[in-house]
Amino acid sequence: MLAVFTKGPEVRFVSHLDLQRLFQRAFRRAKLPLAYSQGFNPHPLVSFATALSVGMTSRGEYLDVTLTREMTPEEFISAVSAELPKGVEIVRAADMGESRKSLTSAMRSARYSSAVRFAEPVTKDALEAACRDLLSGEIVVMKKTKGGIKPTDIRPMVRELGVESADGASAVISLCGVLSAEGGLNPDMLLGELYKRLGVTASAETERVEIEMDMSGLTA
Amino acid sequence: MDLNALNEVLKTVEKPARYTGGELNMRVKGPVMPDGTPRFRFALCFPDVYEIGMSHLGQRIVYNVLNERADTYCERVYAPWFDMEEALRKSGLPIYSLETKTPIGEFDMVGFSLLYEMCYTNVLTVLDLAGIPLLARDRGEEHPIILAGGPCVCNPEPIAEVMDLMVFGDGEEVMNELMDEYSRCRAQKLGKAETLLRLSHIPGIYVPSLYEAEYGEDGNFKSLKKKRPDAPDKVERRIVRDLDKAVYTGRLVVPYMSIVHDRVALEVFRGCTRGCHFCQAGFIYRPVREREVGTVVEQADASLDCTGYDEISVFSLSSGDYSHIHELVPIILDRYEKDRVSVSLPSLRIDSFLKDDLEKIQKVRKTGLTFAPEAGTQRLRDVINKGVTEEDLLRSVHDAFVAGWHGVKLYFMIGLPTETDEDILGIAELARKVSREFYSMPKELRGKGLRCTVSASTFVPKPFTPFQWEPQIEVSEVLRRQALLRSALKGIRGVEFSCHFSETSRLEAAFARGDRRLASVLVSAYRHGARLDSWDEHFKKDAWEAAFLENGLTCEQFANRRIALDEPLPWERMDALVTDRYLKREHERAYAAPVTHDCRKGCNGCFGARSQEFCGRKEEEA
Repeated sequence: MLAVFTKGPEVRFVSHLDLQRLFQRAFRRAKLPLAYSQGFNPHPLVSFATALSVGMTSRGEYLDVTLTREMTPEEFISAVSAELPKGVEIVRAADMGESRKSLTSAMRSARYSSAVRFAEPVTKDALEAACRDLLSGEIVVMKKTKGGIKPTDIRPMVRELGVESADGASAVISLCGVLSAEGGLNPDMLLGELYKRLGVTASAETERVEIEMDMSGLTA
Repeated sequence: MDLNALNEVLKTVEKPARYTGGELNMRVKGPVMPDGTPRFRFALCFPDVYEIGMSHLGQRIVYNVLNERADTYCERVYAPWFDMEEALRKSGLPIYSLETKTPIGEFDMVGFSLLYEMCYTNVLTVLDLAGIPLLARDRGEEHPIILAGGPCVCNPEPIAEVMDLMVFGDGEEVMNELMDEYSRCRAQKLGKAETLLRLSHIPGIYVPSLYEAEYGEDGNFKSLKKKRPDAPDKVERRIVRDLDKAVYTGRLVVPYMSIVHDRVALEVFRGCTRGCHFCQAGFIYRPVREREVGTVVEQADASLDCTGYDEISVFSLSSGDYSHIHELVPIILDRYEKDRVSVSLPSLRIDSFLKDDLEKIQKVRKTGLTFAPEAGTQRLRDVINKGVTEEDLLRSVHDAFVAGWHGVKLYFMIGLPTETDEDILGIAELARKVSREFYSMPKELRGKGLRCTVSASTFVPKPFTPFQWEPQIEVSEVLRRQALLRSALKGIRGVEFSCHFSETSRLEAAFARGDRRLASVLVSAYRHGARLDSWDEHFKKDAWEAAFLENGLTCEQFANRRIALDEPLPWERMDALVTDRYLKREHERAYAAPVTHDCRKGCNGCFGARSQEFCGRKEEEA
């Protein structure tokens, strides 16, 4: 069963590992017919498309759970919803059959929305100019890689960057970036570069609005 | 509480899920009752980090007991880790409850669970971050009532000046009596002093400010004088007589992050009949009170249902001593096998080993096995009344190895009364025999490689044990004996050694047996930066040394001194139900070394004249 779920502000600090456990326990409480892995310590077969950074919220994360008997998506949603803590909600579910590729390999990009609070006022014009400036060339950041911290150009990862609204003290910025099995754009890193160009300090609450998936090949 | 600011703080700390609350089954209540009367706000604090505090069964019970009351809303708070303390200070935010993010200073009562002495500085951290003065005498009507419960209340004195009141014994009933009386005091608009006096008349409640300590010219404790004639002479430990009727944990709060005991705990009985001379728990939870198998299974069903946990742990001081253990284990194994719930049986004694049950447990999941011979020779095991033999241990590990285990932990203590080098070397000898037991088995019958961990803690004399008068050995001597053991264990195949940090053991001994003067030492140490002292890597030796020095006291005078049998004890106002006469008799027997039998085999008279009242049997002198 493929399920799309939210991660609201109530659970924004729940780590990915803890979220996995949260779902396992919720599925057990819901008495779902869970399929288990073979081996020494069998565990329920639940996989996630990707992790969400701790502190971020999301309107649509993907998980896949293997069941031993068929359920309709409606049955699945109603059984599980009652067992989920505040902040986690299943918004869609679909029975995708059995043979298919992994959720992770279907990911293409992700859209984010960031509510930014500036320490000093920034006009909408200045903000938009800074966004254009950022998109016009290389965006080199210091990125942690296996070989240590290295300068990396993240511009190729950025699809869109725009200002939704701004009132001087705060702004809503929308971003779209690559998200795939190989990695993806870190929105906080991009925002950090934006603040640098503006010469301001700011903090942001970022929400993942949606993950764009290539669903072809996901079904049997 | 500024939630935006809190959000920013949480982004900067490690494991923010320690501080967010919102877990499944967290109690949510409004500030007022349906009739519009405000609820009493109770902050229940376990003074250590979340993953430890949330693992404590007693606190889970008290949380449920208080929240079952319509007039009370009990919320949780834990000690912040270093990074969170710093972040709170920097941001100017107060420490808050997990349920409603209410600053702790706004509660009516703040109750601390005192499970070990090394958590005392964490109590101060919480009070300090709440803006509450650390000492009771510096607090006013505007501050919450600060209280404490848990086994450390056996000797309340070292932290007495911090507390407005302390609860001695099982909390299930007395917490309700406390809230009932508090409610009446509030209705009568009584001030704090009057309220505390009224509360002190509830059996099991100790109000330190009603007593005054006196010290002799020799610098030792002399007496705890009543400041008013109506202060109780003695504070009697409270016990819940019928665990089947007692409130249990209710809907267990299910943590997001992983905690130390991340499973359903089934308490099968309280108390222990063995009477190992060093073990405080063995005396202060008497008498043994068991739950019926039916109750235990009912609680297991309910707890698994509301949590989704896939693991159960049978919980008690010595699970093998549960009268119905052979009945219970197969029932829960069968009942939950299809749901893939694994069962663990910690605290098994070597002589109560359950070969058949073990084979069944193995079917579900293999958990570690721990044995606690405590001492290396039969002579010393007899002194401490640990009635197990070398044959018991070797038979048990043999059974475990046959059943497929290859990792075992052996627990010992260093510095027990009368211990000699021969006893230390005996530990290594025992480890050698365990190793031989493993490797003498045919390869196809045993696991690949033995992993036997020999763990040696340092003996800490505790109140209400027959060893309460005994000194702890000096730190230098602890280190010498640890080194002796380490070298004796060298080269034994499959055996590893780990030992406890000696500085914290000494401090623990001082705070276990110390008197009221230690409160100022505690505050000084806190001011010098002592925090989370049970985390060895964060232990600040210098802070404690400076604190003792500033207050003209030494750690040694409390930890390393032999107390004369006729000397007054700082905890003289506390009545743990076991009599002084019994403890002295057991102390004497320790030196003569005849083993005192398990009291299930006949009464040893530990409650004296009150046997009938508290244990349901007539006193029979041993």
